[in-house]
Amino acid sequence: MTDKRDVQASPPQVNHSRRKFLTKLGAAGAAGSIAGPAWGGQSMQDAIGDFFQDHYRRMTRQEIDEALARIERKAKHRYGVDIKCENTPPQEGVVFGYALNISKCKGYRDCVQGCIEENNQGRDSQLQYIRVLEMDKGTMNLEESDHYYESEKVPAEGKYYLPVQCMQCDDPPCVKACPVEATWMEPDGIVAIDYDWCIGCRYCMTACPYWARHFNWNTPSIPAEELNPNTHYLGNRPRPKGVVEKCHFCIQRTRKGQQPACMEACPTGARIFGNLMDPDSEIRYVLNNKTVFRLKEDLGTEPKFWYFTD
Amino acid sequence: MPGLYPDKLRLRRMRVLKKASLLVMLGCSAWLVDAAADESQPEELQFEGYPDAPAFTVAASERKSRHRRCSRCHDKMDPNPTIRELEDAPHVDYISHGKGHIWCLVCHDEQERESLRTLLGEKLAFTQAHIVCGSCHANREKDWYFGGHGKRLSNWQGERVIYTCTYCHDPHEPAIEPRKPKPAPSIRAGLEKMNNDQHTDVQKSQQPVTKSRQDDND
Repeated sequence: MTDKRDVQASPPQVNHSRRKFLTKLGAAGAAGSIAGPAWGGQSMQDAIGDFFQDHYRRMTRQEIDEALARIERKAKHRYGVDIKCENTPPQEGVVFGYALNISKCKGYRDCVQGCIEENNQGRDSQLQYIRVLEMDKGTMNLEESDHYYESEKVPAEGKYYLPVQCMQCDDPPCVKACPVEATWMEPDGIVAIDYDWCIGCRYCMTACPYWARHFNWNTPSIPAEELNPNTHYLGNRPRPKGVVEKCHFCIQRTRKGQQPACMEACPTGARIFGNLMDPDSEIRYVLNNKTVFRLKEDLGTEPKFWYFTD
Repeated sequence: MPGLYPDKLRLRRMRVLKKASLLVMLGCSAWLVDAAADESQPEELQFEGYPDAPAFTVAASERKSRHRRCSRCHDKMDPNPTIRELEDAPHVDYISHGKGHIWCLVCHDEQERESLRTLLGEKLAFTQAHIVCGSCHANREKDWYFGGHGKRLSNWQGERVIYTCTYCHDPHEPAIEPRKPKPAPSIRAGLEKMNNDQHTDVQKSQQPVTKSRQDDND
């Protein structure tokens, strides 16, 4: 896999002259139609910049900065909120892994709620990165699980709960399926999506055996005061409609050493997250000392998401 | 009977016997040494935690117990350490922990009820509850030290701050009460749960039709 940072460090090639030309053109356009209704409510310069924006891994550092600034301006226009969109790089020697204790999970769905709020998901878009499956005790048939349980009290008698989200596979079938390479694995093991490069064909959704990828059918509607202003380009920035989204281990938090939002929201302590490369980490303790399993392990996708029991 | 005991097996048996006798001898001498040490230094048995476990600090936590503060009454009462059924005490109806096998002074200090004590009699603060809990729940305690049980706050990297046992578990009723879940996701069109009863009903109603067709063919 090519290192993104190497690509960024290489000198810009053809883009250089083209960008100069476009900037001039954009500036002229912006001067002609300031804040007009055309260009989808943004300046002509931004519209053109968006149109010619390159793939995340091909952009130079400067081009990424410009893209981040455009995202911030767009969010300001759409929600009236000043957001901060960052491009925090992966940490050296870190590969993220997740373990979930199904003896502890009680099916509260607090993780789902935490995820929606952290990741700026539309409150009406029917799109959640985490699905908590209610299963009959002693069974492992995912097809017979209930995604929509509405019990008065959980855990319900004779049931257990299995939260499913992106497994951040080490051999991700979704990446192989993408015809435009809009999704790839980052050096820290997170399978990321360039939402601006995705064409919305949904091949990856079909390729994913875990229902982890979701299509964004409408522009997310979020009350301005609930918008999370700390965002990452590959993470929770406001996304366009018509692209595929999924869990990214809260890239905007975890690359800075924070826990993913689902782990922080979980009141039971069922979720354990950490660096797989660190032999003293909590996740490694779980992997070494507990009976762990992965979902659909026989498919060979090598998920970095383990389930375990006490 | 040489055929029944191949040399290998006999050798192993010999070795086992030798080992066993050696162990017994060692055990005896160790006991003698222990006894000698006991005379000079009375009990130095103490659980030191897990030195290999990653460093942590215990987060300040709210009071979990539903009981009133012990000191409100017990400061004015003479301690009675006799193990007995508590009939008139206001807190009897609510100590499911241990299912009647343990009582207050197993965990609480006799003189100062708002302190804890270990089985060895060390006095501890409420924030060190994990040491008291661990004297019975050793497996859970080990997991807690290493991060396999319990909850860490806010970060995965850097300072490790974790809750002690009694942040989540009410020490007198440790099982966690069921509660209402957050709302379910809305069901997408076409993904409604299939009604299996209806499905089998349809199959049943179709059966006679196929049968009559077969009859016609005959």
